Order: sequence, then C-alpha cells, then structure tokens
Amino acid sequence: MAKCKSCVVLPFLVGLVASIVLGWWGFPKVLYSQKTQPIRFDHIVHVEDQAMACEDCHAFRDDGSYAGMPTNANCVGCHEDVQGEDPDEARYVTEYVQQEKEVEWLGYQKQPDNVYFSHIAHKELDCTSCHPDVANMSTPPVYYENRLSGYSKDTMKMWQCEECHAQSGASNACFVCHK
Amino acid sequence: MGLDRRSFISLVAGGVAGSLFTPVIWKTLDDVSIWTQNWPWIPRLQYGEELTVPALCKLGADAYGVKVKTIAGRPVAAEGNPDHPLSLGGICPLGAASVHLLYSPSRVKNPKLRDGSSFKDITWEEAEELLAGKVKEAGASMAMISGDETGSVTDVLSGLVGKAGSDKSFFMPGESAPAAAALAMLGGDGQVGYDIENANYVLMLGADALGSWGNVARNGKAFSASREKGVKFVYVGPAQNGTSAVADSWIPCAAGTESVLALGIAAVIAGTNRDRSFWPGFASFAKFVQTSYPLDKVAEITGVSAATITGLAQELVRAGRPLVLTAAEAGQGLGAFELAAGMSLNMLLQRVNTVGGVRILPWAPKVVEAAADKKAMFANDLVAYLSTVADGGAEAPALLMVYGANPAYALPNLAKAQAAIDKAGFVVSFSSFMDETAAMADLIMPDSYAFERLDDAYSPYGSGQPNYTVAAPVIKPVFDTKPAGDVLLSVAAKAELDLGFESFEDVVKAKAEALGADFDAMVEGAAWVSEEFPVQDLALWTTPLQELAVAAQDGKTLALAPVLRLKIGSSKIAIPPFNTNAIRFNEMLGNDMYVLINAATAKNLGLKKDDAVKLASSGGECKARVRIFEGVMNDTVVAPLGLGHTAWDAFSRGKGDNVYKLLAADTEAETGLSRFATVRVTVSKA
Repeated sequence: MAKCKSCVVLPFLVGLVASIVLGWWGFPKVLYSQKTQPIRFDHIVHVEDQAMACEDCHAFRDDGSYAGMPTNANCVGCHEDVQGEDPDEARYVTEYVQQEKEVEWLGYQKQPDNVYFSHIAHKELDCTSCHPDVANMSTPPVYYENRLSGYSKDTMKMWQCEECHAQSGASNACFVCHK
Repeated sequence: MGLDRRSFISLVAGGVAGSLFTPVIWKTLDDVSIWTQNWPWIPRLQYGEELTVPALCKLGADAYGVKVKTIAGRPVAAEGNPDHPLSLGGICPLGAASVHLLYSPSRVKNPKLRDGSSFKDITWEEAEELLAGKVKEAGASMAMISGDETGSVTDVLSGLVGKAGSDKSFFMPGESAPAAAALAMLGGDGQVGYDIENANYVLMLGADALGSWGNVARNGKAFSASREKGVKFVYVGPAQNGTSAVADSWIPCAAGTESVLALGIAAVIAGTNRDRSFWPGFASFAKFVQTSYPLDKVAEITGVSAATITGLAQELVRAGRPLVLTAAEAGQGLGAFELAAGMSLNMLLQRVNTVGGVRILPWAPKVVEAAADKKAMFANDLVAYLSTVADGGAEAPALLMVYGANPAYALPNLAKAQAAIDKAGFVVSFSSFMDETAAMADLIMPDSYAFERLDDAYSPYGSGQPNYTVAAPVIKPVFDTKPAGDVLLSVAAKAELDLGFESFEDVVKAKAEALGADFDAMVEGAAWVSEEFPVQDLALWTTPLQELAVAAQDGKTLALAPVLRLKIGSSKIAIPPFNTNAIRFNEMLGNDMYVLINAATAKNLGLKKDDAVKLASSGGECKARVRIFEGVMNDTVVAPLGLGHTAWDAFSRGKGDNVYKLLAADTEAETGLSRFATVRVTVSKA
C-alpha cells in the first residue's frame, strides 16, 4: 500500500510544482511578445546634454488635454536634417521626417478606448508612479505586448485605478473613467 | 519507477491543481474578454490634438463659414462658426454631415476616362493633357455649367471658356438670377440681399427661410433673436413645413401664387390715403395692381381670403420695418416678374436699400479678365439652352465642362437636359462624387472635397451685407484628387490660353485685394464684411407691367409643391450617409417616397394612405406613395426634391424618385429665364 501511496502523491506533487513553475515562469513568456520602439530614443541625450525639460515634448495643451507622445512637429525643429552620428537619429530623419510619416511609438500604459484618463487630473503625481523612468534611460525598455488582448503588459488594470482612487479619496463612480 | 495509469492521472491532477495557483486560467479568461473588444472591425479612437479649423460649407445653395473639429489633424465633426456672419454659430443639416462625406463611398478617388460603359483609371498628367487637347480642338464650341455662384473657381472655368471664344457660361437654376433680373426691372443693378436681423416684421412669401432658403443658418439665428424682440414672422405657402411650424402664423396659399398675393397686398397698400404720387412709376403701378389684382380675384387665385389679404397689408404698413421675402417653396423656379412682384411690395413700403429691408449688394469684383460677368451669367439660362440643344435648335458644344453641379439630375426639363449632355462632344466633370453627371461624363477630374482645398465665397444670395470668405484646406486630399481651380489653370496653360494667373491661390488673393480684404486674416477664419451699398434710383417697374402667368386650375390636375429638405440633400449632394437616420417614417416607406395630399384631395382621387401612385406632368413621371396630411391645401401635392438618385452610393441610389422629372419649365419672354414654380400634375394609382 505504501508503494501505491507514493505512486499517487509524488506524481501529484510533481504535477503541482511543474504546473506552478510553468504557470508563473513559462506562461508569461508565451503570453507576451517582446517589441522595441521603432526608433531608439535616447532621453539622456535630450534631457542632460540638451537640457530639455519633460514638458518640451510631453506637454499639456491649452485646453488641458495631454499631448502624450511627441509628433514630428515637435522634432523637426532640430531634426529636419541629421544632427549627430546616432544611426537611429539618421533613420528617424530619413524614414520618418523626410517621408512625412509619424513614428508609431509604443505606449507602455496605453488604456483601452473605453477608458477616459485625464493626465491633468493626475498631474500632482510623479510620472514614474505609473510610467517607467525613461527620462534616465538611453534605451527605452522592452515593450511586452499581450498576444491575446493586444495591450501592453504595463497597461494599468481597473483594480489598480480603483485602489488608488479609494486610497486617495477620489470617486470610484463608473462615469469618472467611463464616459 | 514506471509511470502507470494511476500515477499519470495523479500527475495530471497535480498539474490541474497547480494551475489553479497560477495566473494561467484567470489571466487567459481576462485577456480573452479584452480581446473581444479589439476585433479589427471595431472602430478605434484616434488620439491627438483637438483643434477647430475654419472652413466653408457650400453643399446647399448657401455658402457660409463652419468650424471643423480635428483630432490629430483628422476632421471628425463640423459645427457652426460663431464668428462668421452667415453662420453665427448655426449649421445646416448638410453642414452637420459634411465631414463624413470626406470618406463617402461615392467619392471619385482618382481621374477616370470613359471606357465603353465604364471608366478606366488614368493619371492626372494624362487627364490634363487630354483636356488641354480637347480645349484646343473645341475652340469656341465650348460650354460650362457651374453650381457655385459664389466661388472663384467658377471665374476660372468661365475665364477658360471665354478665352476660347465662347459665351456659353451657365449657372444652375436658383433665385439669384431671377432676383437680379427683378431688380433690373425696378431700375437697380446688383445682387439682392435681405437684412432679416433688423426687420421687425418678416413676411415669407413661399420662402422656406428656416428650412432651406437663403442663408439658412443665419436666418435661424435671426428668428431666434427675434423671439425676444417681438418680431413677427409670417409664412405664406401651400403646406405646413419646418418654417410654418415655428412662425407666428401660417397662411395657406396656392402653390406658386405667392407673387399674385404680393400684388394683391400691393393693390391694398396702393389704395391707402398716403400720397405716393411723386414716386417714380407709382401712378402706373398703382393703376395696374388695382385694376388687375382686385381682392376677390387675388383671393380666388391664391385661396387666401380677402380679409386676410387686407389684414396682411395693414400689418405691413403698421410694422415700421417690415421685410417681404419672395421665393418658390423649393428655392428655384420663379420668374423675374414674380420676384419683382414681391420686390415692388418692399418698394411700396420703402424697404429697399434700408436697414431691415432689401439690400442691394455690389457685384463681386472680376479678377479673371476673360470670365463672364456674373450679371451676364445670370442672364444666360441653362434650362433653355439645354432644351434648345436637345431639340436641335442649337449646336451641341464640342466640349462641356461641369463644376460643382449635377445637371443630369437636378434640372427642370430633365429628359432634355440629359439628352443635351449626351449630345455634347466631350463631357468633363469636376465632381468630387460619382453623381449622375459624372456617371455620364467622358472624363472625370475629381475636385478635392470642400475641406481639402482652398475655396472662397462672395456674398451668397440673401446676404444682408457684402461679405467674402476664404477657407484654407483643413486636411490634405484623402484620395488622388486635385483642386479644380488649379487643374483648370494648369489645363489653360497647356492649351496656351493665358488666364493671367498661375495658381488658384493667386486668383483668390487678387479678389481679396480688389475688395480690400485681408487674405491672411480670412484664412484664419475672419470673414470680410462691408457696410457699403451702392446708392441707386429705383422706380416702380421700368418695364411694361403685365399679369403674372398662373397655371389654370382644371379640376383634373393638382398643383405641385416641390419642397427641399436639406437633410435629404441638395441639387449638388445626394443623401449624406450620416443623414439617413434623419429620414422619418412619414417621409419614406421602404424605398418609396411619400407625397403629401390632404384627405379631401385623396377622397376626390379615390386614394388612401400608402397607395402607390404615379405623378405625371408634361415634363415626366414619378412614382410615390400617398400620405394623408391635413397641413396641405386642397388640390395640392407636396413632393420632396433630392431623392431618386441613379448614381452615388447605396445610401441614396434607388431611394424614392426624382421630382425634377416633373418640373416642366417655360421661358419668361421678357428675360429669357426659365419658370417652373407653378407645375400641375396628375396623380393616379400606379
């Protein structure tokens, strides 16, 4: 009987452990594809070397809406022609500026269309509360795209919004985020 | 240790149990639910900067400023422009649908050359070379039709035709032409406008001012403001409509006889004690109206009681700043004599060239030297010309160019118009859409859509003061289209016809300079407005007075009251896809349109609700369904214009029938202009 018992318990434990390991380690690797930004944008060069402020590119518009990712209109002031020796800058100028094509930047926290998120309502928070600290990076982090949903791995879930709203005393009524 | 069946099941059970402590199931279920939100056919929002950009709406007979809301440079909605004098924040149903037409399935996406019964795609270079060759070949045997009375593209096209030696420059029918001719009968010269805002009593004789006539958005704003000021709006017409519904009163009047009513009212006013004998022409005019239009006769023709006619005359005299607007229900079809009848009423009331009255506006400055004068173009009658060509009385043009118009759909004597277009040697359409004329054309050179091109507008009909608007493109052309103004200048250069300009922008700048307007400010949305009106000595009729022609009631036919509802479209635009939901259950039954008659008329004809009927006139036939509506006069049938398209797209093709087929026109002897506001039709079971 003892032999029979180990024949049952041991495989069960093996299956349990293997499943947990695969579920926590292997599943994410299958679920997410890895993408890099179309152009390797070096924030350090712009922030430290050129003394640019975050708001020079990521600005609030006059109506309070947030410009988010910059467009060519922000960049052509300096990058109408190639400035330095960075191959990504040269590629940006030739493939995007000169072709009048916008870069399809990957937004790490892009929310679904059914969510209305106002940046100006959250401007008291530090950007890195939600976003990766790209200002101190020469190479933007890898973008993990969920193969099923199509969203970024870092897109904030509704419970995270609700938790922060509850902790800060903000309303969690549906219409606050779903217009 | 071997893996027997029991161990395997245990392993699987352990795996399943373990998976419950991992995100696999829960995360997969969550992501699958999110995946269903992102199927490729589900529309996605476009994010970006939200701006409002000034633009022009010319989709109806009017031309006025709107503001186009853009997101990341892409137009998403149009709204009224509070800063524009002809919008004042208002917008018409076509303007509201204007942005969506950018992506209409009926857009012509590139130049097309006829290839048997269909078209083949060609390049712009080939199209321009081909047209330049046709221009050289045609010489003076050339004609042009424009549906844009206000823009400079018409000047360029007319200039090209004129430079080639032809005087065949035509506008589509409207009220500008008979109004200008009516003013000429009273000794004036210029465009006719109406200072509705400053009037304190507005008598709308047939003019559907709040629905489709004149500067619709501006009229609506003036009406809205009038509510607090106690200004009275009176609508006179054969059937209830949107204007009558909100006006202070509606006076039923037989279709097309509003001008007779005007002369009846004039007879009452002329008979009052006030001494007007020193006015030029008053004596003969007073004698004419009192002799030819006694109250009982006017009451019989119009169906308006003598007491009501007298009451209207008294209200007008007492009002202080009355204004009479005379028009056909559909905004076209009246002759100059009929419009002059309404105008003479304004003159009797001393309401011409005065605040709150009829304003005489100067003609637009001519900057393309070879172009026909506006006045001359208004005197050229397109309907008569095409009918003559169809009948063989005039040679068909070797080259016919059509801009901003759809003559193969929206003309009276339609069968003859289509026959004449068919007889033309080579037909070129500059339409942005596959309309009926483009479908008949030999070459289509698609104009960029309203928001994709530089455009201008000088004082559309009805404007209370001279105004000029310039609108820059809101967006680059979505398809392979080009602005017609630039294409025409390029073709003219290739055909070695010098029009004096290299680009259409230069034409507009020259017009702005001639007016003393600031081009740059106008491009930013500020319309140029002038308060200068030419001083003119008018007389009560400088031409021989004669009785107005009125179609006789014969007991067998009904008076046709064609109506224009902008949500359904205009003479230029078919039903915009955005507006299909605005067509109500009582306007169409399936693909059949309703015509309206009252119960008494229906009983006389043996008809009941929803009966399929055939309407027939000397012009043609239409099919429809009957709707019983007590807001229609006896022996009158109301039929909507704008349906029955044979081209365009699934949103408009085959829906209803084309009422233009019923409009049989005759020619006004004195002016040569076509009249088609008093058509009579038979209505019988289909």
